[in-house]
Amino acid sequence: MDTIVAVSTPPGRSAIGVVRLSGPASLQILRALVQQDHFAPEPNRVVLKSLLINEDVLDHSLVTYFQAPHSFTGEDMVEISCHGSPVVLRQLLDLIQTHDARLAEPGEFTLRSCRNGKMNLSQAEAIRDLINAQTQAAAVQATRQLSGQLAQALQPTKQELVRVMVILESAIEFVEDDLPAIQRDQIKETIDHLTGKVSSLAETYQAGHLLRDGIRVAIVGRPNVGKSSLFNKLLRFERAIVTDIAGTTRDSLTEAISLQGIPVSLTDTAGFREAGDEIEAIGIERTRRAMADADLRVLVIDGSCSLQEEDREILKAAGEDPFVVAINKTDLPQVTRLDNLNGAKVVHVSALTQEGIPELTAAILEPFGSMDSAGRGLLITDSRHYDLLTRAKRSLEAASSSMDQLAGEEIVLADLHNALRFLGAITGETTSEEILGQIFSTFCIGK
Amino acid sequence: MVFDETFDVLVIGGGHAGCEAASASARLGATTALLTLNLDLIGQMSCNPAIGGIAKGHLVREIDALGGIMGRVIDRTGIQFRLLNRSRGPAVQSPRAQADRALYRLEMRNTLENTPNLSLRQGMVVDLSIRDAKVRGVVMQDGRRIGAKAVVIAAGTFLNGLIHAGRTTYSAGRAGEPASVELAETLKRLGLPVGRLKTGTPPRLDGRTINWDAFQSQQADERPVAFSFSTEKIEQPQIDCYIGYTTNDLHERIRKNLHESPLYSGQIKGVGPRYCPSIEDKVVKFADKDRHQLFLEPEGHDTNEVYLNGFSTSLPAGLQQELVRMVPGLESTKIIRPGYAIEYDYVDPRELGPDLQVRRIGGLFHAGQINGTTGYEEAACQGLLAGINAAFLAQGRPRFGLRREESYIGVLVDDLITQGVDEPYRIFTSRAEYRLAFRHDNADERLSKYGREAGLVGDAAWERFNQRRDRIASIKKALSGTRIRKSDAAYAALNERTPLNGVDSISLEELAKRPGTSSALILELLPAETKRSASVEEIEFALSDSLYSGYIKSQESAIQRLHAHDTLLIPNGLNFRGLSGLSHEMAERLERAQPTTFGAARRIPGLTPAALATLLVNVSITARA
Repeated sequence: MDTIVAVSTPPGRSAIGVVRLSGPASLQILRALVQQDHFAPEPNRVVLKSLLINEDVLDHSLVTYFQAPHSFTGEDMVEISCHGSPVVLRQLLDLIQTHDARLAEPGEFTLRSCRNGKMNLSQAEAIRDLINAQTQAAAVQATRQLSGQLAQALQPTKQELVRVMVILESAIEFVEDDLPAIQRDQIKETIDHLTGKVSSLAETYQAGHLLRDGIRVAIVGRPNVGKSSLFNKLLRFERAIVTDIAGTTRDSLTEAISLQGIPVSLTDTAGFREAGDEIEAIGIERTRRAMADADLRVLVIDGSCSLQEEDREILKAAGEDPFVVAINKTDLPQVTRLDNLNGAKVVHVSALTQEGIPELTAAILEPFGSMDSAGRGLLITDSRHYDLLTRAKRSLEAASSSMDQLAGEEIVLADLHNALRFLGAITGETTSEEILGQIFSTFCIGK
Repeated sequence: MVFDETFDVLVIGGGHAGCEAASASARLGATTALLTLNLDLIGQMSCNPAIGGIAKGHLVREIDALGGIMGRVIDRTGIQFRLLNRSRGPAVQSPRAQADRALYRLEMRNTLENTPNLSLRQGMVVDLSIRDAKVRGVVMQDGRRIGAKAVVIAAGTFLNGLIHAGRTTYSAGRAGEPASVELAETLKRLGLPVGRLKTGTPPRLDGRTINWDAFQSQQADERPVAFSFSTEKIEQPQIDCYIGYTTNDLHERIRKNLHESPLYSGQIKGVGPRYCPSIEDKVVKFADKDRHQLFLEPEGHDTNEVYLNGFSTSLPAGLQQELVRMVPGLESTKIIRPGYAIEYDYVDPRELGPDLQVRRIGGLFHAGQINGTTGYEEAACQGLLAGINAAFLAQGRPRFGLRREESYIGVLVDDLITQGVDEPYRIFTSRAEYRLAFRHDNADERLSKYGREAGLVGDAAWERFNQRRDRIASIKKALSGTRIRKSDAAYAALNERTPLNGVDSISLEELAKRPGTSSALILELLPAETKRSASVEEIEFALSDSLYSGYIKSQESAIQRLHAHDTLLIPNGLNFRGLSGLSHEMAERLERAQPTTFGAARRIPGLTPAALATLLVNVSITARA
């Protein structure tokens, strides 16, 4: 039995989020998360631990270890209650999957529980209802969440794959028939073409989950450049306190907004500078984290005075990550001159007159262009779909390299069948009978 | 009922399924009688005189590994052995042999006559004796009553057989033999779902009237690969076959006369096999092809009869004669026996358990064409399985089954009993998920242990198997352990054949995967003590294992990831209609297929993911309770 993991609390922001692990590797994975090889938690006892990514603390969480068979599933289990930010939860899930665990299928915890006899027959009806509810929910979700569209979008890819397989299968099965010779170049070309198609679909996952969870945008800059004013303008209400006093914003402030229909989680941050006191120091530390967590940073610069050392520092801190430069206060005479920003977008705005706000909105959304609702292609939002597409892609790549190495048809087909299985988990299975059917309608077979 | 004679097991039919069933049952110690319409036609090859072919050859070797007889009989009577797909990978290579039709029949009868516990009886079974949903015996046309604990029906095309030749139809089991009408009616009366299938056969030609020079000859392999692991040498002299082609004029002629074809007039209702189309079908469905391939296959050493492979037809005999003469090289050829189509009854194989026993009638087993299959090899492996289980039932031993994860026989049976058939079922390598693991040469490694446990693999065969396994193990060790180093004399010579890119050393196993090497070359490089006992064939075996091991692993992990619950057992007699959340239609599909594992249920066509999820949860619960 392998080890499975899932977020057990509903998607979206909440006070806490629970991640559950079930399976023999659960404790081992927990040890890896807290980076203590000999961590031996007492079963059923809640303990506060720091979860670490490399050197960094991901979150301080309450963890509970349940020892088999005394757990919900009857297997070794670990429950991690962390802060309910989708960002933290997703990072934790990604991290856990780099260890010996995979994402649970819908209902799989319940299933394991049943299998291990943790539920008796009198509870069976309830479980069934639960599963039914899940499949119904899944069905609704499937329609809503593009999985129907995804299956449809994959159909031509799958058909093309089956067509190649039909040619290779025929060569194996009907050696005595008078079949056209196999054009290996063409087959290899088709496999590569399919790899590209599957791969580009898989790559939309990044944009897809941004669409689902929202784009995290952090507004950063040195004190008193107008971050909070811009924040309020983008929010369209006076959320943050705005004064002329540098350092008014002492803590990060986050609000969910919709920019042209795209969910954006906008964070106003404390100004970047040498901290004056302890509170400010904490605020600035939070700014650093908000900056690091963001999908995009809006770097605000006061256009009415020359570029300061702090501005340069922030520019440097942003590094390779995507950012937009907003030169604020166009209502005043402009003195700032900027050059060499690694191609970052520069927008001139005035929080006071609202000049340039539409341009700033556009600049924020631009890096996520594929999410523009007008020209939006199909996006993968489900991590299971992403996983399947990635595996299909790898199988296709393996088949292609087998073609390069002049491997036999049966070896190339082994990988193509794997690719078809992974695609089939999204589109519905293709049976060997269907492949044979296509062989007989394509070629005149039979002595 | 008072019986004239009583046996443990009765086998109805002396074709390829019946012969295996009777032989296995008797050798397992069950008193067995083979009931046949004509003792002289036991083991008759009704259609083409050949055994094996891609995937079919695998089946024969699996039969042999389990202790069946087909492999040994064809090895003694085969007159043209060829290993098909020789240029392709080892997993898809498969032996095929053309048989001397008469010799094969005689050898099979001889084998059966020399089997202890086995009696042969001629006559026609017209009824089954059944009490309390258990079979008790059979009633013969001549009034004899024969009692038994288990009955295997292997009646081939004889059940309600109807021959079509042009517009003429007549009742027959094969050309010149009576159909079995009463037994077919009995099956219907028992409430078994009966359908119709169709198959066909081409005309047989007088070899003295063929202009052989007009055809391209095809020779037997110089180094024949036998079917049986016990065969040391193929003794029969080997013959040539010949390849020719039809012409466009011939196609035109057929198209103009389609109204004469019972296939196109609507006279034939049964569904025929797509992979064995009649010549009529070929010219209609592939109208743009300007020629179709034909094989001339001599039927034996001592006969002029030649089988015109690729020309299966149910057109009127007179027209067949005309058409044959339009083939270049057959201008003055005479037909000895015209081709014909035959329709026959089959019973939905979803009625069967994995032991091939009819679920609703204890002790009744079906094997071969009655289950909707086509092919001698497909029939024989079912006969073997049914024969073993019939004997086991009589002896109170547990059922014998094979899994689709380890053999083509397992794939075939699983496909039949879970998916049913809508055309005659033939085995293909692509039907197996684990094709790379199912090689013809490792059938013994996969299955001999089961044959041994059952009691069909004798001491000598078992000893031979173990020795071979040990030799291969030591070859494998030598292949991975022997390295050719830069300092070795062989290195430079090897570098000429396949560039070694300056590596310091290379193992024989790695070397074998490089282009430009051969098994014979590897043999030469083996250490002296291994070389002495190893054969090229055994080296190829060891290399095949290493060639495929990575792919087999990645395939297994893909399948496990997606189908982790496949081995979960579905309890016998589970009431699918009682499962809440399962629609009526889904419950019906499950009821019809009676899957025994979740994997089998997953392969039932038309089951929705939601239905499977519901089933999975229920089965998981009941599995615990």
